This record gives sequence, C-alpha cells and structure tokens, in this order.
Amino acid sequence: MRETRNIFVTIIYYILLSAIAIAFLIPLIWGISGSFRPRDEIFKYSSPISWRTFIPTNFTVEAYKRIFTERIPVFYPRSLFNSLFISFMTVIIGLIINSLAGFAFARYNFKGKNFLFALVIFSFMIPFEVIAIPLYILVKSWNLIDTYSALVLPALANGLAVFLFKQFFEEIPSSLFDAARIDGAPVLTILAKIVFPLSIPVTICVSLLLFLGQWDSFFWPLIAVTKNDLTVVQVAVSRWWGQYGVEWNLILAGSMFAAAIPVFLFLFFQKYYVQGIAGTGLK
Amino acid sequence: MICKCKLLSKATPYVLLVPCFVLLFFFKFLPIITSFYESFHAPAYLGHRFIGLSNYIDLFTDSVFWNSFKVTLLFNLIVNPFQIVISFILALLVNLKIKGIWFFRGIYFLPVAVSMTVTSVLWGLMFNPQGGLINAILNVFGIPAQPFLTSPKQALFSIIIMISWKGVGYWMIFLLAGLQNIPQEVNEASLIDGANPIQNFFYITIPLLKRVITFVVVADTVTNFLLFAPIYLLTKGGPAGSTNLLMYEAYNNAFVYANLNRAAAITTILLIIASIIAALEFRMFKPGFEEY
Repeated sequence: MRETRNIFVTIIYYILLSAIAIAFLIPLIWGISGSFRPRDEIFKYSSPISWRTFIPTNFTVEAYKRIFTERIPVFYPRSLFNSLFISFMTVIIGLIINSLAGFAFARYNFKGKNFLFALVIFSFMIPFEVIAIPLYILVKSWNLIDTYSALVLPALANGLAVFLFKQFFEEIPSSLFDAARIDGAPVLTILAKIVFPLSIPVTICVSLLLFLGQWDSFFWPLIAVTKNDLTVVQVAVSRWWGQYGVEWNLILAGSMFAAAIPVFLFLFFQKYYVQGIAGTGLK
Repeated sequence: MICKCKLLSKATPYVLLVPCFVLLFFFKFLPIITSFYESFHAPAYLGHRFIGLSNYIDLFTDSVFWNSFKVTLLFNLIVNPFQIVISFILALLVNLKIKGIWFFRGIYFLPVAVSMTVTSVLWGLMFNPQGGLINAILNVFGIPAQPFLTSPKQALFSIIIMISWKGVGYWMIFLLAGLQNIPQEVNEASLIDGANPIQNFFYITIPLLKRVITFVVVADTVTNFLLFAPIYLLTKGGPAGSTNLLMYEAYNNAFVYANLNRAAAITTILLIIASIIAALEFRMFKPGFEEY
C-alpha cells in the first residue's frame, strides 16, 4: 500500500519537474529554431501551436551565413573576437590579482587587515552598473574611451573572487606552508608548486565568474565603446535590434550564438560554479 | 641582512594586495567619489561650476524623476518577493531525493547562463502581440491576445516575467545549498514529533534558512534594482513611463540629454540606496568574519 502510494507520488513529482523544465526550455528552443528559419517565417507558425512552432519547416542557415560574412554594419566575427579577447584577458589577469589578494588575507596578519577586507567586501556589494556613469566620466578624462583597456581594467579586481580565494586558502593546512617555508622557498614558489594544484576547483569557479561577468556585460561596453570594430557581442545584437528591428532571424542567430558559449561552459563546469558561489550565501 | 628579510616578509602581504587595491581604487572607489563630486556641479555646457544641491532639487521637483522613482519601487516590491517565492519552490523541488534530479537542476539553472541582452531580445520577440509565442500559448488556454510590452498596464509585469526566467535558477542554487545544509535528523525529529510537512517547513526549515534567505533577499534586490538592458532594448521606459526604471532614467540623462551631472545625481541616489542595502548585507556577513 505504502509502496504504491510512493510510486504514485514520485510520478507526480516527475510530471511537475518535467513541466517546469519545459517552461524553462521553451524560449531557448523557440529562439534556436527561429535562427534557422527564413526571416518571414519567424512568427508564421507560432499559432496555432504545433510541432511547426518549434521545428523550422524551411530549414536554412542563411542567417548564420549572413552574420558571419556581412558587416551589418557591425562585423559579428569581430565582435565575437572582442568578447572572447576581453573575457580571456579578464580571466587570466583577474585570476592572478585576486588570488594574490585572497592569499594575503588568508595567510598573513598585518596592520589594517580588517579594514582592507571590509573594503573588498564593500566593493562587491556595490554592483558595477551603479558606478558606470561616473566611471565613464573618469575613463573619458583618461582618454580610454574606445580602447580594450576601458573594457578589461574595471573588471579585473573582483571582491567576490578575492573572497572565494581567501576562503579556499584558509582551508589549506598550515603544515604545507610551514614545510615549504623551512625549506626556504619564496612565496611565489609556494603558490605555484603547492597551492595552485590544489586550487583547481576554486580557480574554475572564479574563472567562470570573471568570464561570464565580461561576456554578459552590456551597460558598460555600450557606453564605453562607440566604434563598430570594438563592439562586443551583446552590444552587436542590441545594435541590430535597434536599427534592423525586422531582421529577426539575424538577431536570433547572433543571440543564440552569443548564448551558446556560456551555456556550454556551464554544462561542463556547473558543478564548480555552483559549489563555489552557493557557499557564499551560507558563510 | 636578517633585518632586511624581516622587513620583506612584513611587506609581503601589502605587496600581494597592491595590484588589487590599485584597481579597486581607480575603478570602484574613485567613481563613487566622482559621482558625489560631479552631482554638485553643472554640466560642461553650463561651465561645470559648483552648484550645490541644484541637481538634486531639480530631480526632486521633476515629475519624470518621481515617476521613475515610484516605478522602481513598485517594480522591486513585486519582482523580489515573486522571484524569491518561485526560487524557493524550485529549490524544494530539486532537493527531492529522486533519480535524475541533477538533470532538472541543470535545466532550471541553464537560463542563468543566458545574458540579459539575449533574454530581452528573445522575450521581446516572444511577447510580440502579433504572432508572438506567448499569445499563441495563451490561445491554447482560450485567453485572447494580450498587448504585453506595448501596454502601460502590462509592460512592467511582462518584464518581471522575462527577467525571472533568467533569474530564479540563480537564487534557487543558494537556497538549495541552504536546504542541503540542514541535517537530515532535524527534519526527521520534527516529523516523528508529529509535525506535518507544512508545519515542518514553516517552523523548522524557514528559521534554519534565515541566513541564506536574508542573503538572497538582499542580493536579489540589489541586482533587480539596477535593471537596465530590457528597458533600453524593449520599452525605452514606456509606454507612458510605466517601465522607466531609475537606471534607465540615469542613462537617459547622461547620454540622451547629455547631462552627465544630473545623471551623476541619480547615480548618487542609487549608490546611497545600494549602500544601505549593502550595509544590511554587511551586518549579516559580520558574524562570519569573527569565526575566522
């Protein structure tokens, strides 16, 4: 009796879970299928709902061909390169800067430590968008508008990344460090040979954090860059949306391609990201 | 010689912190100071002179700003409880101990990886009153076509739906981590003591998750408070000012009306509100520091 009731409840759970999953996936499925349709057919089969709503009947890669070969007037491959370039630069330099700071907070006692750490925490509680306009005034006065530096520099020091590295370094047993110190190894050697190999999970988590932050950022690249050649993918899509509002298939192709990269990163590395960030809510 | 080594090791933590703090200073703290400074000055085309609180007085006597302020408040009063309740329900569901639950977790989390820009564009097309997918779905249930983003009554709510699609999976993860942190024995004990699952939820689960819930409430509020992309892309603050959130109003002043100083005043107001929220969050974090 109890057995059958349990199976019944479990089936209800699966139905509920699946229904919600479908609701989450529908926009993406509809968007992907739209990017493989001719322009006039984006809305054609939406109503009434049938398999045609979600599967293109006249399958075409026309939209992808156009965004990868034409300047509209933004050249999409160039935007992709820009986004990838600034994201990778941010990840590589950001990992070094934030891990060094995290290490200092975790492993040293020094004057002003609490105050400096409070500043770090404060910096990550003030979201970047809120200071974007005054930062624009500053960056303009430094003549950095329309440069890669304007896009990379503000994203490098990241309070949350420092916090995550600090937590990680604190959990490493002191004996590891002491042994190395007695051997006379300098700090950087300790970091490279002992700490880094242990830190793969936190490194992946912070890398994802920095990468996604850059890849998805919109407000700052929108105002800090005006040249078509420096446009990042998010802004490229928004330009098409604003100026060529009826070229829906191009807009969808550009959007879906831009979304695919972080989505795949997530599929592979979700575990690290989730473990890393979820802990911050508990601490 | 020994003396030099000691000095070096004393200096080491500061050396390690220098790159981080130089960047934080120029790209985080200096802009905050700049925001205050510029908000007390006239725009460049009026000579950039010190004008005291004029920018603020202008703002608070401007009906467009007040409307924007009210819309932002209304938006936050709806979107935050809405997202938190939904993410809590999702967290409880994906905390079920059944086969393949990781698969559903992954799917609910997937939209988090989609940028706000792409979310806006995608949902903008789906909300299209003629031929959009949402109206097609409503049609299945016999509901007539709705205007969505083109109606002053529905635009804000449509935006809430679209950003929640992207947002709830993120907050679900924090709540799920909290749920998994509750020792199984606690739930078992309360159920053995005769509590039904609903009592268990309200008297055991929620109090134990107080910390995580506070974190999610504060972090979610800060995030939604500064929403920009969907407004910029889809509604431009309209129709009839019904979606004119403060972040968009600041952008409008800075880059459409070319008055960076008035925009700085709005930014400063946003900063003060964000700092108050941050202070609440800070107090919540504080006991955590002392444990170290």
